[in-house]
Amino acid sequence: MSKPSKFLTRRRILEAGAAVAALPIAAPFIVKARGESPVKIGFIDPFSGTYAALGGYELNGARMALTEINAKGGILGRSVEIIPEDSAADVGKATVKFHKLVEQDKVDFISGSVSSAVSLALSHAANLKGILYLDTGGHVDTVTGQHCHWTTFKICSDTWMLANAITKTLVTKFGKRWYISTPDYAWGHFLEAGFASLLKQNGGTLLGNALMPLGSTDFSSVLIKVQAAKPEVFIVLQGGDDFVNLMKQATQFGMTKKMAFGYGLVEFENLVALPQPARTGWGVMEWWWQQPKNLHAAAFVAKYRKLYAKTPSARSWFGYVAMHSIAMGAAKAKSLESIKVARAIEGMALPPELALGPYPISYRAQDHQLLITEFVGEVNGTGKYPDFFEVKETIPGTKLAKSPAAKGCKITYPA
Amino acid sequence: MELVLFDAFNGLIQGTFYALMALGLSLIISLNSVINFAHGGFMVIGAYLAFTLAPYIGFWGALFAGPILAGLLGILVERVLVRRLYGRADPIYSLLLTFGLALIIENSVRSIWGAQGQPFRIPAGLDSPVSSVYFFLTGYRVFVMAAIALAAASLFAFLRFSRFGLRIRAGILDLETVSALGVNVYLLRAVNFAIGIALAGFAGVLAAGVLQLSPTMGNDVIMATFVAIVVGGIGSLLGSVLGGLIIGLAAGVTAAYYPVASDVVIYVIMAFVLIVRPRGLLGQEGLFE
Repeated sequence: MSKPSKFLTRRRILEAGAAVAALPIAAPFIVKARGESPVKIGFIDPFSGTYAALGGYELNGARMALTEINAKGGILGRSVEIIPEDSAADVGKATVKFHKLVEQDKVDFISGSVSSAVSLALSHAANLKGILYLDTGGHVDTVTGQHCHWTTFKICSDTWMLANAITKTLVTKFGKRWYISTPDYAWGHFLEAGFASLLKQNGGTLLGNALMPLGSTDFSSVLIKVQAAKPEVFIVLQGGDDFVNLMKQATQFGMTKKMAFGYGLVEFENLVALPQPARTGWGVMEWWWQQPKNLHAAAFVAKYRKLYAKTPSARSWFGYVAMHSIAMGAAKAKSLESIKVARAIEGMALPPELALGPYPISYRAQDHQLLITEFVGEVNGTGKYPDFFEVKETIPGTKLAKSPAAKGCKITYPA
Repeated sequence: MELVLFDAFNGLIQGTFYALMALGLSLIISLNSVINFAHGGFMVIGAYLAFTLAPYIGFWGALFAGPILAGLLGILVERVLVRRLYGRADPIYSLLLTFGLALIIENSVRSIWGAQGQPFRIPAGLDSPVSSVYFFLTGYRVFVMAAIALAAASLFAFLRFSRFGLRIRAGILDLETVSALGVNVYLLRAVNFAIGIALAGFAGVLAAGVLQLSPTMGNDVIMATFVAIVVGGIGSLLGSVLGGLIIGLAAGVTAAYYPVASDVVIYVIMAFVLIVRPRGLLGQEGLFE
């Protein structure tokens, strides 16, 4: 028998197959905004890969803030520029981009991140370089807990705040027998531990916890176990594409009609991607665009929609807050030195036109965590875009967060 | 025990997706001598085309239109790009080309449809379990299995009974002789490439019913697809189907006992097959050696 090809061998095909493994992480570089602006902020976020949509919303918010800052004369009279870099939510890439931004572009500050793992890596790298880092959206508790640094400030909540915001509601409304589905990495483990501990405090029973690797596509095995355990509440901790995949499959299994669904974190971007029947359950939003009594929020939403023809998400607000926080801190410190700006941001309260919520919020001095308001509510299954969530209760972050001591954070500045 | 049976059956359903993707990939490797890294990308294109067309022609129309349009795009890619590689001795050219193509497709999809995932609705009648006991057997899953079985059977019938299909099979065995007999092998390869791509597009539309429709959707499936063809035997179409079903089944059963290992188990199987039977389960001796 003659060979089908002179060139293709099984060994070649196997070698090639191995190279395919690199495909998901071989993300393209995004076009960088370069210029000769005096104040530079490196913005490391995923613009490709699983979290690309979330990173895009954060960058949009940051860019909107930048136009406002520059319209008011920039920072200390100098215009400000964002240099975005794509991390693809990958720690290795994010670290390379970090060093490129700091050593080559000579940025003054760093911001960004969706993935908790990337946030931790950037937080450590920024501390080693003594450069201020504003973590926009990596939730892991240790960033402002055990591994807190004087250089790092966190805008999104930590996982304990999220679990604390919704547990009581779920127990009271739906019952105490729970099953949890957890993505198998830092974010999932912390959130699951929080929920399990709070459920116990509320006298509930955890029937099981199914760990699934990040990036799983088929959740049937988890759903089969959950169905067999017959919980009153099924807690889904997956985010991004994983969340959408799980919810689509659970809906087709008819599970949304048999038990209540609860989420640690509900993201607007994910609700947009869900088909209507799968839009159900209760959870926590870290910011919500619909605040009828808040004129500042309405103005923010209108401006954002005009710029991007989309409704802003919590992620847009994170990016927006990050840029304004840096500008306010630098103005207060009258300096671009990270150490002085960090001191200035410590304890800083956000003005109402930036807080965009029902309660005053500020950066806690002891751990640099912004104590944001949590919007607890129900996913709106019948609403049309962007009416996908109905806020039932708003809880100030000050009532939800653990104390810095309990989190194990002790911030020390260089002598 | 019941849970294991549930998971095993569920794994088989997943395996049918891998089998469909592997069939297309295997066809292209066999006749076009191209390891198509962009296969997952074409799957995504099929899904997005169906998503765009569904509001106008309905789910059923989109189910056929998506793969057909993806196949036509496949012909264009084959004519313009892939064809130029046929005479080149070093496979690195085709690897680089299709790898680049995969990146281009992913980012084109992102710029056209956005990075944001899109909601793809399946017909209401398929959106619920067929029985309350076997709840994991949803209307849509049953439909997907039937559709994939039909697609695979049609392909095998086409290759076995149609003149064109026979030429493709002959070409896979000895393209030079087929060419010497007066068959237009350029057309043969173009159509073969298009069929492979259309199968990927078809898998994409079906997958969009259960998975998040996003630009990176194909990345998760493509690795399992490569594993399926290696396990089944490179160059064997039936082997591709078998390989897909085996790794789907293995991943399903593993998920019942130890979910975090469900991704790894398929590579363990591949390693085992390569050690014990390097040509794959149904691979022919001498083929692709």
